[in-house]
Amino acid sequence: MKLLTANRLDDGRVIYWAEGGETTGVLREAARLDAVMAETALARARSRPDVFVNPYLVEAIDGVPSGRDRIKETIRATGPTVGNSLPHPASAGAR
Amino acid sequence: MYRYDEFDAALVRERVEEFRDQVARRASGALTEDQFKPLRLMNGVYLQLHAYMLRVAVPYGTMDSRQMRRLAHIARTYDKGYGHFTTRTNIQYNWPALTDLPAILEDLASVEMHAIQTSGNCIRNVTTDVFAGAADDEIEDPRPWCEILRQWSTIHPEFSFLPRKFKVAVIGGPNDRAAIRTHDVGLEIVGRDGNDTLFRVFVGGGQGRLPHIGKEIATDVRGTELLAYLTAILRAYNLLGRRDNIHKARIKILVESLGIEAFRAEVDRQFETLRDEDLRLPQAEVERIRAYFAPPAFETLDGSSGAFDRAVLADPDFARWNRNNVRRHRQPGYASAVISLKGLGEVPGDITDTQMEVVADLAERYSFDEVRAAYEQNLVLPHVKLDDLPSVWRALLAAGLATPNADLATDVIACPGLDYCSLANARSIPVAQALSKRLADLDYQERVGPVRINMSGCINACGHHHVGHIGVLGVDRKGEEYYQITVGGSPDEQAALGQIVGRSLPSEAVAPAIQRALDRYLEIREDGERFIDTVRRVGHEPFGEAIYEGLDAAV
Ligand code: HEM
Ligand code: SF4
Repeated sequence: MKLLTANRLDDGRVIYWAEGGETTGVLREAARLDAVMAETALARARSRPDVFVNPYLVEAIDGVPSGRDRIKETIRATGPTVGNSLPHPASAGAR
Repeated sequence: MYRYDEFDAALVRERVEEFRDQVARRASGALTEDQFKPLRLMNGVYLQLHAYMLRVAVPYGTMDSRQMRRLAHIARTYDKGYGHFTTRTNIQYNWPALTDLPAILEDLASVEMHAIQTSGNCIRNVTTDVFAGAADDEIEDPRPWCEILRQWSTIHPEFSFLPRKFKVAVIGGPNDRAAIRTHDVGLEIVGRDGNDTLFRVFVGGGQGRLPHIGKEIATDVRGTELLAYLTAILRAYNLLGRRDNIHKARIKILVESLGIEAFRAEVDRQFETLRDEDLRLPQAEVERIRAYFAPPAFETLDGSSGAFDRAVLADPDFARWNRNNVRRHRQPGYASAVISLKGLGEVPGDITDTQMEVVADLAERYSFDEVRAAYEQNLVLPHVKLDDLPSVWRALLAAGLATPNADLATDVIACPGLDYCSLANARSIPVAQALSKRLADLDYQERVGPVRINMSGCINACGHHHVGHIGVLGVDRKGEEYYQITVGGSPDEQAALGQIVGRSLPSEAVAPAIQRALDRYLEIREDGERFIDTVRRVGHEPFGEAIYEGLDAAV
């Protein structure tokens, strides 16, 4: 299973492809895509450069990032694990 | 301090307007990311894991209170109330929106600051000794030369599309507090011939995947010919440097592959024609720039201070801060104070907007309106009267800025790592914080004395781990964060690269391993030896043994 993610153009925040081509800043709201759906979503995201910057697919199991980049993708989803930026805005600022 | 002339002001304003237009076209979708990326990088804008990142230059690390307050204002208004100082005296904002960037750049321009040439393959922000103009071991204040280089290199057409980025640092005396030998070009003032300043020149230093210590290329380049000489170096690099492979494009690779003799011969050939051209700096121009950096109006004092002496006796905490964070000044009765941005368990280099305001007030009131950014990701009040040090300390203490650990084990240099950076293999901040907490006992830190510990989240080496006395590098082992430790690096006039001591460790093993290495040093040091002296005497092996002591062989 895959998720589609990108950074949002206007503020750079992490976004995911949700059902119906909506975007969400919340990982658990991301659409869980099989291989065919994933390629379609990727093509559609690429055709919307006014929203999706550098869209790509993330491997996931039950909606949770898996595979080699799982730590990076978890940090992208939940924000920096430490420091002056806590708590994370992506969820609060999601539109 | 240098003030923009009309040319500088117009140039920065034009760049803001140009970028405003580019951002508008990007936001409307008229520019694609591929088209926009080189434009944003020319203005210091990166796209990181969670947001855009803006890198603002603090030229040669010198700011006044007005500028510091503006940096605080930007942190508060457009970011999350903080900024991050880097090893190259830049400040990074981690959360600006694309659409706010033109307003931020305009705010910066109003205090003579900008983000030009903080990324991309150009000559970057020139850095220097944080104690420039204050240190008692300085031959000459290096900052006028930094300013001359800044003016010469800003938007210089020949040097805007180099094979790779190009970093220059300048120091004013023999003790290197700016890591010049880790730079593409390092300049050391060695003396004077009449009115003319003489420079020793190093070339081909660099960190990253293939680290190199800069090699001496010249011993006595004249100040009036400095721009001609640097142009000769850059021209040789532009002609001969590789552009086909990004990992082989830095000047360090060129110098290494040609050999320093052959590279010197090529530079000398270029220099012969260039030195007679109009690149010669008129002495009057040097004097004009020097005047901006004239020493402030110091009072004539006898070098002792009753208020200071009483505070040292009365308050052991002040005494400790004074021992560790206060540096000698060339002017009797004055000192330089290091403001540690390495509070217990804090993020190295981070400072909040309210703390910036406090620092700005202190600079204005007690340090001739000057504050500096240091290689070590700390700040410095360069010119404080001994009489005023107790008041400065109390204000810093109240703001959480009086951690008395400058140059000690918890004064860790660390890059943002995987918490922010899209290139990272592993996090660096939590490892730095774990070390900070583990070594929190200040008596222990003082017993260990000065030791430089550096962490990078990947081989790009933004945390300068190669030249840390102890270096920590984040590596990726099958999707897990691991850390490789080096011992024996050094960023100063005895610059050296650290040696890898063995296999990489999991995150929670790093701080205890470093403490064992420091304990080993306490056991085997001889009188008066600093950590790095002991490493130089006995080699890295005893420390490697201590680092792996008791660790499961399977780790
Ligand atoms: C978070 C965004 C950052 C990115 C994407 C980034 C990227 C890079 C890259 C790709 C290199 C390697 C260049 C090369 O080998 O040619 C590099 C080097 C470097 N960076 Fe960063 N960096 C970032 C933040 C920082 C910070 C926060 C600091 C200071 C704490 C810093 C200081 C340096 C230094 C000193 C070098 C070594 C220069 C050399 O190779 O000689 N960078 N950076
Ligand atoms: S060293 Fe690597 S992880 Fe750290 S800031 Fe540089 S590029 Fe990012």
